[in-house]
Amino acid sequence: MAIYILKRTYQLIIVFLLFLVLSYLLFNAIPGNAFQSLLLNPDLPKEAYQRVLETYGLDKPLFERLQLYIINFFKGDFGYSYNYYPKTPIDLIAERLPRTLMLFALVNVVSFYTGFIVGKILAWRRGSKSETWITITSVFSYTVFYPWFALLMLYFFGYKLGWLPIGKFIYPEKWYDAPFDSDVVFITMIKFTVVATFIQFLAFIFTRNIESLTNRKTARLVSFVLLLLGSYFYWGSGSALEQRTYAADIAYHMILPVFTVTIVAFAGTALLTRTTMMEVLKDDYILTARAKGLSQKRIRDRHAARTALLPVVTSFIFTIITIIDGSVLTETIFSWPGMGQLILQSVTQEDIPVAMATFSFVGILALVAHFLADISYAYLDPRIRIKSQG
Amino acid sequence: MPKEILKVENLNMHYETLTGNVDAVKDISFTVLEGQSFGLVGESGCGKTSVAMSLLQLQADNAKITSGSIKLDGVELVGMSESELRTVRWDGISIVFQGAMNAWNPVIKIGEQIREAIREHYPKKSKSENTKKISELFNMVGLDESIMDRYPHELSGGMKQRAIIALALSCDPKVIIADEPTTALDVVIQDQILNEIKKVQDLLGLSLIYISHDIAVIAEMTDQMAVMYAGRIVELGPTDEVFKNPKHSYTKALLESTPSVVGEKVKLKSLEGEPPSLIDKQSGCAFAPRCPNKNETCNPTVDMELIEISPDYFVDACNASNS
Repeated sequence: MAIYILKRTYQLIIVFLLFLVLSYLLFNAIPGNAFQSLLLNPDLPKEAYQRVLETYGLDKPLFERLQLYIINFFKGDFGYSYNYYPKTPIDLIAERLPRTLMLFALVNVVSFYTGFIVGKILAWRRGSKSETWITITSVFSYTVFYPWFALLMLYFFGYKLGWLPIGKFIYPEKWYDAPFDSDVVFITMIKFTVVATFIQFLAFIFTRNIESLTNRKTARLVSFVLLLLGSYFYWGSGSALEQRTYAADIAYHMILPVFTVTIVAFAGTALLTRTTMMEVLKDDYILTARAKGLSQKRIRDRHAARTALLPVVTSFIFTIITIIDGSVLTETIFSWPGMGQLILQSVTQEDIPVAMATFSFVGILALVAHFLADISYAYLDPRIRIKSQG
Repeated sequence: MPKEILKVENLNMHYETLTGNVDAVKDISFTVLEGQSFGLVGESGCGKTSVAMSLLQLQADNAKITSGSIKLDGVELVGMSESELRTVRWDGISIVFQGAMNAWNPVIKIGEQIREAIREHYPKKSKSENTKKISELFNMVGLDESIMDRYPHELSGGMKQRAIIALALSCDPKVIIADEPTTALDVVIQDQILNEIKKVQDLLGLSLIYISHDIAVIAEMTDQMAVMYAGRIVELGPTDEVFKNPKHSYTKALLESTPSVVGEKVKLKSLEGEPPSLIDKQSGCAFAPRCPNKNETCNPTVDMELIEISPDYFVDACNASNS
């Protein structure tokens, strides 16, 4: 396994280098540069423009710039943003990333979870009326033109009913005298979610060793209630108490985007789960499970859905990669100032250092996700574990 | 006289398909005595497995038992609700499946899959009790205890089949159905597995229904046997007698098609024609088109019917006089 991981890491580095060179060349292939608009000003002397280019190193030939960029990249120097000087791309990403992460991590988890559950029920109830209708609805939401649908949701819930805010991630008037930045709150929220998920996961693993099924269920319920109590106390004390109202404001703004993206995104998972699970249901071990006298629910969840999970996890991991670049549309429509908007802005304004930094970030994320995908397969399917060792 | 543990009477089952009903099980009656083994033999597609699946009502959704009765230790199984059936499955009747390769869930450890069955029927047992039970079973079928923590793909075919036997025994069932348990294995392993089943049967006094297309295996394994053709039993009796003196032309043909190691060399015979498709409603003798003993007294429009010619020996009426 160690050799396998080493080999994969080596491949990753080479792929990343190629990625870096290619994207740098592509960005520079865009005609003009970020400062060309200065030339439109007739009062600006040509020499001044030239000096600006020199300041940013844009007067050097392309190959030299590429070389410099790659060397500096591995030194951890990503340059300065052209538009937000003197901020560095890292500052910008650090500011935007928590906002995108919080929103899209939640969207992904919610949509995959509902998709998986819906898909598994669809496969189980194959041929029933409810199956037909839910499948038709899923295909509709899978194929709907997303921006149109998102606007429709905004119009309906934000404008007509007025239940939810239209766009933005906070009510600015509430934040006038806030003692901290919105990023601080975002980071607290992310930390809380990660810790809570981790505790729930641990509880799940530990209760697996309880032999009696009813006891296991009770233990899981107790751990969940304890977690709820714990989170209640967490938000009711210390620094989290101060941030509570602000966190609530952000959460309120998150409802509509999460809801909208979930409706669009769950269908893919549901249909995928349905297809794989219908294959699995034909397998002999499902008959064995039935012959053993297991309950329908147990056969469905433990035997059929568990085996059908593999392709779903694959698609989940590949969706994680698209969190950042896939957020462009959603963030634009819901005016959510996250990474998606940053990418769009930096590309349209030819802010090359920022564009390169965001793209490399997405690239690294993609490579790492692929890597994790391979490892998680080995965990989910013991048959792969053996093959990768040999 | 040992008591009757499983009594099947006039069982009829068909599959509903788009092109019509497939009558897979027609008017089947047999009795399994406690501690004895009962063999069911016939060519592929004659309804052997359908009989086995009907006993636990594990057939596909389009299968329907139209009439008949299945009594396990005096309890009627036909017409039971799904949840009642669940308590009978594995605890009352368990199955050793055809393909051991695919009978295990590939992503769950062997031990856990056995534990799961015990847990379902005896929820009060503790984890260590279950572990003890499984290691006892593994010792009985000649497996190492460490197999418990293995995944199915880490085992050889023979080991998987042994583990399946352990699985079938895990809830101390009254009857075990062995549905061609050795088909996917090579002859050496086949022999080992058969011996294992026999040994376990003697040890625990199990009642066994053994299903196979291999008449030699049936001869070795069973006390009573039935020969099936096109969804019906054509001959049923003590195994020794059926082998010594088969009455039905089909049984004779089946025996003649099997090579024998001892005795004179004879040319193997095979029957002309093919078994009838069960999808067309046939009336009359299903075997008539292939019957080598057709004569003037034979009337192909008369349905097959079993008659008792000597105690516990039944044969299709048309062939009763053959000997």
